[in-house]
Amino acid sequence: MRKNTKAKQGRSIGTTIRILVLITILLVVGLLLLAAMLGGRFGPPHQFTLDFIGPLQSAVTRTFAGIVNLKSDYIALLNVRAENKQMQAQIDKYLTELGEYREGYSTYRHLQEVLALKDKLTFKPIAARVVGKEPAYWYQTIVVDRGKKDDILEGMIALAPGGVVGQVMHTAENYSKILLANAPSSAIDAMVQKNRTRGILKGAGEKGFVLQYVLKTADVEVGDYIVTAGIGGVFPAGIALGKISRIEKKQRGMFQEIEVEPHIDFQKLEYVLLDPTDRKAVLDSMNLTPKR
Amino acid sequence: MLVFLFWALGIVLIVAQTTLLEYLPLWLGRPDLVFVLVAFIAYRFAWIPGIVLVFVLSWVLDVIAGIYLGLYPLVCLLVFTALKTLTNKSPVKESTYQIPLVGLSYFLMQIFFYFVYSLFLPDMLPEWSWPGTLQRTILVVLAAVPLFILFNRLYEYILTRRLRSKPPRRRSQRAI
Repeated sequence: MRKNTKAKQGRSIGTTIRILVLITILLVVGLLLLAAMLGGRFGPPHQFTLDFIGPLQSAVTRTFAGIVNLKSDYIALLNVRAENKQMQAQIDKYLTELGEYREGYSTYRHLQEVLALKDKLTFKPIAARVVGKEPAYWYQTIVVDRGKKDDILEGMIALAPGGVVGQVMHTAENYSKILLANAPSSAIDAMVQKNRTRGILKGAGEKGFVLQYVLKTADVEVGDYIVTAGIGGVFPAGIALGKISRIEKKQRGMFQEIEVEPHIDFQKLEYVLLDPTDRKAVLDSMNLTPKR
Repeated sequence: MLVFLFWALGIVLIVAQTTLLEYLPLWLGRPDLVFVLVAFIAYRFAWIPGIVLVFVLSWVLDVIAGIYLGLYPLVCLLVFTALKTLTNKSPVKESTYQIPLVGLSYFLMQIFFYFVYSLFLPDMLPEWSWPGTLQRTILVVLAAVPLFILFNRLYEYILTRRLRSKPPRRRSQRAI
């Protein structure tokens, strides 16, 4: 009889513990979700987790990239690959130069101040290696091997030779997470380079970008280049984003539907450049306080 | 031991998902390996170790890749609870139903994600695509087949080792 009572007591304690654990975890998840929705706080546990997984990702990426490079460099097309790399580097260089010339010409035509260009020339980017990618439908983020230790702060912008990559959204001590510009939750103030028509460039995942809020009367054509507008202080004006690939003017509505093909191949990102300029402006515009 | 080993396996899957799977062609898409593990945990583990494992693994993936922190753990816990409740003492637990249930729950999870976004973050709502949703679901189902074989083998191997290492119970004097 006593044994039965004891067993029943034990069972009821076990059930209580189970329920308590379940409630605690659900509460933690709920609080996390609430905190993320309200402030997007990336606290010490998050930072620790990112710093813990980062080295594993880095090791796997380096090893696998090494193997892939070895295979493609030494086994497959040794000479062609090397030449291709060289040409690709040249193309990147020329594309960057071309973008700069186009921007310079447009700047001249629109009588912009030379000072703005001088500001751009003070740009000293920090190179970072991409160690992890999660370009899933809902996420579109990458992890790079630079963090608070390298003076990387949330809100900084990430670039590649072809243009804008995205923006730093979370930082840990040694690693940072970057929201890609083609993520559905990303929106950048952009303009058509040739005539300064402005709009909002929204991420559309694998499709690239969609340029919104451009009036039907605006003069835009397929092939026009889209650059950052420089509004809001996060992205400087004139950085390449992509070019218009499709335009649709529906009967209803005031605006055109414009698809933009990114200059950057987000799938093949290996390195990014983090722009440390205008840090204070970035922080102020995001209402963030540096905690260093 | 069992929980720790599956935690380590989950970490390996997360690292693989965020590094190696990138070498797959873009048109193919990428299966959510962690989701498959969450479903397996729901089938095989008890409530408390299951919840702890699912929470920890989904938290890690959320930190690595998530934009709105907390959403992925919440969805994974909901999926775990739903699958656990559905399969508890039910013929649905049989292996025949396991893989299709993974696909169904992944499909519903995508709809749930979209629903949450449309309620709380309508400005950031990505474009909905039925072919894309179905493709991702099929990919998860295909990935679930070899992964379930691997998980089952590992699970049974650990259980067998644990049973072997336990000394047999002696009968008490009174019983004799």
